[in-house]
Amino acid sequence: MQVGVPDRARSGAAISVRDLHVAYGGTRVLHGVSLDFTPGSFTALLGSSGCGKTTLLRSLSGFVPVQSGSIIVGGNDVASLPPEKRGMAMVFQSYALWPHMTVLQNIGYGLKLRGASKAEIAAKVASMLEFLGLTGYEGRKVTALSGGQRQRVALGRALAIDPGILLLDEPLSNLDAKIRMTMRHEIRAIQQRLGLTAVHVTHDREEAMTMADRLVIMQAGRIAQVGTPEEVYDRPASAFVANFMGAENVLPLHVERSERGASLRAGDATAEIAAEAFDALPAGDAVAYFRDDVARLDATDAPASDDLLVPGRIAARAYPGGVYRYRVEAAGRQITVDDAARHELGTKVGLRIPLQRLHIFPASEAGIAA
Amino acid sequence: MSQRQLALILIAPGLLLVAALFLYPLGFSLVSAFTRPDGSLTLEWFAKAFELYSGDIVFTVIIVLASCLLTALAAIAIAGTLTLGENRWVVGTLKALYRWPLFIPFIVAAQCMRTFLAKNGLMNNTFVSLGLMDPLSATSFLDWRGIIATFVWKQTPFVALLLAGALASIDRATLEAGRNLGASRLRVLVELALPQVMPTLLVALVLSFVTMLSVLSVPMMVSGSQPTMLTVDMAFRINAYGDYATANALGVITYLISAGAAILYLKRGMSKEAAP
Repeated sequence: MQVGVPDRARSGAAISVRDLHVAYGGTRVLHGVSLDFTPGSFTALLGSSGCGKTTLLRSLSGFVPVQSGSIIVGGNDVASLPPEKRGMAMVFQSYALWPHMTVLQNIGYGLKLRGASKAEIAAKVASMLEFLGLTGYEGRKVTALSGGQRQRVALGRALAIDPGILLLDEPLSNLDAKIRMTMRHEIRAIQQRLGLTAVHVTHDREEAMTMADRLVIMQAGRIAQVGTPEEVYDRPASAFVANFMGAENVLPLHVERSERGASLRAGDATAEIAAEAFDALPAGDAVAYFRDDVARLDATDAPASDDLLVPGRIAARAYPGGVYRYRVEAAGRQITVDDAARHELGTKVGLRIPLQRLHIFPASEAGIAA
Repeated sequence: MSQRQLALILIAPGLLLVAALFLYPLGFSLVSAFTRPDGSLTLEWFAKAFELYSGDIVFTVIIVLASCLLTALAAIAIAGTLTLGENRWVVGTLKALYRWPLFIPFIVAAQCMRTFLAKNGLMNNTFVSLGLMDPLSATSFLDWRGIIATFVWKQTPFVALLLAGALASIDRATLEAGRNLGASRLRVLVELALPQVMPTLLVALVLSFVTMLSVLSVPMMVSGSQPTMLTVDMAFRINAYGDYATANALGVITYLISAGAAILYLKRGMSKEAAP
């Protein structure tokens, strides 16, 4: 039993998930998920509700029985082991602290299970509390703590057993916005300091982007894309990922390939693209996704230059602060655009979208994103 | 009519019922336990009760406490299995079966136990036919063991029902957190789940304690021999001798025993209300 200062650098364990199938009753939830978690990495599982991200985390921790497939940790397949034999520490959304115990007893419980003496537990808990900025809280009842303090105790309880793997099940979603920001950085800093392998489930895109060094976007029980936050944000692999990562404006396009490149047509607007810029561009009917903040409003007769300039009409305006947010009817769609200038409702405008900021996918794929 | 008068009228039927069926008999038996027929105060009925039945007083308390303890263990085992069990077949079967004794009256339960626990009863006969027991060594369990067995069989479902409900309402993640840190299911039940539902378990046991204390049919039918429980003694004083005074003294002693349990119950309730 290693009882020492918690900020000693430790190395996390690698997890290798292979062809994991999980079902609840007769309903398939995970359809053959394969994923590697390198030691010391921080991975966020991101997706809308029901996509299977929590199920994946819970099958890693052993709370959901695996139908087939393997979970390799340290060379052993743990898929058939009960939760208590897996050595992964989990932080729960509801904190899951034991209300009948003090802070000391909560954090020390895992050590007690491992046969540590009272003195060892007291020493380890004291250093853990110092680490978490809760020095002197040993004797407090956990019911007397604030949300942020409870989450820190829950984190301390998970970290006290020196786990190689830390599983985080939406640990910040019950905290108010300000504390959530602080805790994001704290958890990330602790994970890096201890070198833990962390797997974090969240439906909050920004939280995932700021905390993780790798995102796994899940969709209907499958992995839609794996990559760094930049890769997933700037180069979404599918219409679903583009939409999920915030490119919520949808513009139907027609793409025609030619010798020199390709031409895009959206309603009455057309634009030419050089071939090398869009190698993977689909031909025929396509759908373009883009974020509110990439488009600008311009005059209808302004030169298009390298952008797509789609004529439209302002249908609604709101002022969320800083810029105006417009709803523009263009190419038969409702498009949301942020623009600094104030325009009147009903004004005819040109919707200027830089071509390189469009995420274009075949129309056949677009139905999935809805 | 003022609000206050209306409220009084509304609660009047209930109040009258409590007064007529509980307060009046209680007051009457209290008075008659402490007075002679001529109306003078005395403790002689208590002296007589202690002289004749002190053994039965101790017997009653021990039987009821032992039954409570065993009921608690059985109920914890059932409710624990229902909450933490992973074998669906076991949990399903248990869920379907465990409540049945709730719907069987004490007197029927006692009758069943007579045929089950007698010297040539179902239990011993089964053991003999299985070759587990020599017919000559068969003994009757129709004594204190029979009373405890009947009480436990009858009260376990009640305690298990309340306990399983309480266990189902605690945050499941608190149990998963325990297993995640390495605790076995038994440790999770004993160290993490039960402490969270202790108030419910205590209340269920206090109610069972008072119920068992007041049952006449079970000790009468299951164990005809001495020592026996206070309810049987009270019935005997009245039926054989028309000795209401001593019976009432025994009744007051029963009140005092159940008052001990009631104090526990009220203390629990108050500390729960005082908690934030």
